Amino acid sequence: MTLAGALHIVKAETLVQADDEQLLLTGCFAADLMSDVLAFAHPGSLLLTGLTTDQTIRTATIKRVPAVLIVQGKQPGSEMLEAACEQGVGVYATPLSSYECSGLLMQAGLRPYRKQAPAEPAELVEGGRGGSE
Amino acid sequence: MAAVSNPDAAADRPRHYEFPILGRAYFLGGRASTAVKAALSGAEIDEDTIQRVAIACYEAEMNVVLHGRSGYLTMDVYPDRILVAVLDQGPGIEDVELAQTPGWSSASEEARTLGFGAGMGLANIKQQADEMRLESTVGEGVQLYLTFVRRDENHG
Repeated sequence: MTLAGALHIVKAETLVQADDEQLLLTGCFAADLMSDVLAFAHPGSLLLTGLTTDQTIRTATIKRVPAVLIVQGKQPGSEMLEAACEQGVGVYATPLSSYECSGLLMQAGLRPYRKQAPAEPAELVEGGRGGSE
Repeated sequence: MAAVSNPDAAADRPRHYEFPILGRAYFLGGRASTAVKAALSGAEIDEDTIQRVAIACYEAEMNVVLHGRSGYLTMDVYPDRILVAVLDQGPGIEDVELAQTPGWSSASEEARTLGFGAGMGLANIKQQADEMRLESTVGEGVQLYLTFVRRDENHG
């Protein structure tokens, strides 16, 4: 899914335009704790967050996250937007909650980035997992 | 941001960089790490190593901003590894073992409003670095030494 496609799905308003909205996202990550973003987000993902300080932009820059989606109708201050312009990080805002955005984006096919496919719980897989290799 | 580098130094000498960090200057937190990343990005170092150094520096820098009075970050880039030291003057850490427990935090409410202070900083740093040494004298400050082995094959 492209960044533009994801933004359309969550009815996002553009605050700072990303360098390339046609960029293909590697995944999506939602967190308000920047330590979690640093530890677990994947470069090239869209970041959903409610944190509207310039730390969000610094974290995105360090993690090579191309765009940040501010959820829940929050309005970031000018410092954050200036930092975003400086660093070339897109900033978008949506009235939807983090949970709603995640649900809509997942449904539309934007998967979380994973290094390996997650193991399916055995009892939910028809016929068990015998013989898989 | 004052960065000191010696690009003309002999090949076996590391390139040396220094970045100041101001304690309590919440809105400047992350500046030094952004400069670290920019310095490495122009130095033909593999992306994975840059990423690991930048993440660890950011967490370490935020520790100084949130807990220290002042400090600085030094970085030495060798052909096969990168050494980082983050040194601060401040209250120090009473129990360095406890401080490394994931989830343990002594950060203020203010830190949390910045998206930090979840007690994952040192755990994150440890995960990114190949080696980590943490020393502290209570009432004086903290010294954090990190080693990153470069992942690129054509060293230098």
